[in-house]
Amino acid sequence: MIAVALVVGFGLSWYALSDGRFFGAIDVGPWSAWRDAGSPTPDPYTRAFVSRNGALQLGASEGLQFVASADSDGQRLDRSCRYRIDGTTPVATFWTLVPTAPDGTPIARPGGPAAFNSARIARASDGSMQLYVSRALSPYNWLEITGDGPFVLALTLYDTSSFAGVGPTVATLPSIIREACAS
Amino acid sequence: MTRTVLWLLAGVVLGGVIHLAVILSLPSLAANAAWARVEALDALGKPVVLPTVVPGEPNALHLDPELAYAVCRMDLRQGAGVVRGVLPLAFWSVAVYGRTGTILYSTTNRDGIGQNLELGIFNQAQTRLLAQQQLDIAEGLLIVESRDDDVFVVIRLAPPHQAMRKRYEAALQKISCGTIPA
Repeated sequence: MIAVALVVGFGLSWYALSDGRFFGAIDVGPWSAWRDAGSPTPDPYTRAFVSRNGALQLGASEGLQFVASADSDGQRLDRSCRYRIDGTTPVATFWTLVPTAPDGTPIARPGGPAAFNSARIARASDGSMQLYVSRALSPYNWLEITGDGPFVLALTLYDTSSFAGVGPTVATLPSIIREACAS
Repeated sequence: MTRTVLWLLAGVVLGGVIHLAVILSLPSLAANAAWARVEALDALGKPVVLPTVVPGEPNALHLDPELAYAVCRMDLRQGAGVVRGVLPLAFWSVAVYGRTGTILYSTTNRDGIGQNLELGIFNQAQTRLLAQQQLDIAEGLLIVESRDDDVFVVIRLAPPHQAMRKRYEAALQKISCGTIPA
């Protein structure tokens, strides 16, 4: 009984604070965000997440950060693969997309740009975009990453009200499509 | 068989209790990592511009490499906190954090405050004095009430291009930040 209690108690707590699904984080496709992380009165799960995470959270009026650790098919993001980030983003003053290691260290090529910035990407005539994150050379907007192993993508929307429940449109986020993988 | 199921069920219920205890006690038990890192900076009563996030270098505060950040810590027991400055014409935002890493207040320069940052942070006693007009403050100060005495302010500034980062960081360094003695 004690073993079951310990596994359930600590396992559930760990899951709730790392993945967050069903516990206060919102999911849009492969992306998830702690919507209340920037609120002055977060719910207990968000409060525990903020304490454990140690990041400087964005305030509710500053923006919202989405994190993806898997692609749109649910496979874990791997640095040996090429990923296409395809689609549109919700209305925001600007956004950035940063590939990082799971501990938050940026993994872009040293000396090059560390992130995509919405102000500096090429778009299609309908406003949609195609971003590539990979170690190997890719077309359109390409961010070169380095190293091996898993990584996460952090999409930060600055000055957005898309998820505040007041916008007229249903917010959509771009999909993350896995293309070729180096063997 | 029934006895085993009952034991397992009791284990699951006890697990639920442990889970709730962990979630509810974590903020008070765990020394907040963000606060500890900010405390390690020499930012009490003055702005500290955080180093640029570089690929391959640890980024414990999970900062955005595209942005420039200034942090200033305040002890409201010494008096109300004031942050003042003029920032470049680009997106910037300001957030006030408490000791637990919770954000007490945040705003952006789109909220009608333009280039001028004028923020006053008052604890509950100081807010009461303010309401009784026993505290002299400058006109136009954005007033934030804080339930914590230990707070820090983070100003985020987005340089339109990385080539402009140095100039934008210099503007952040010029921000005045501190407490006004009661």
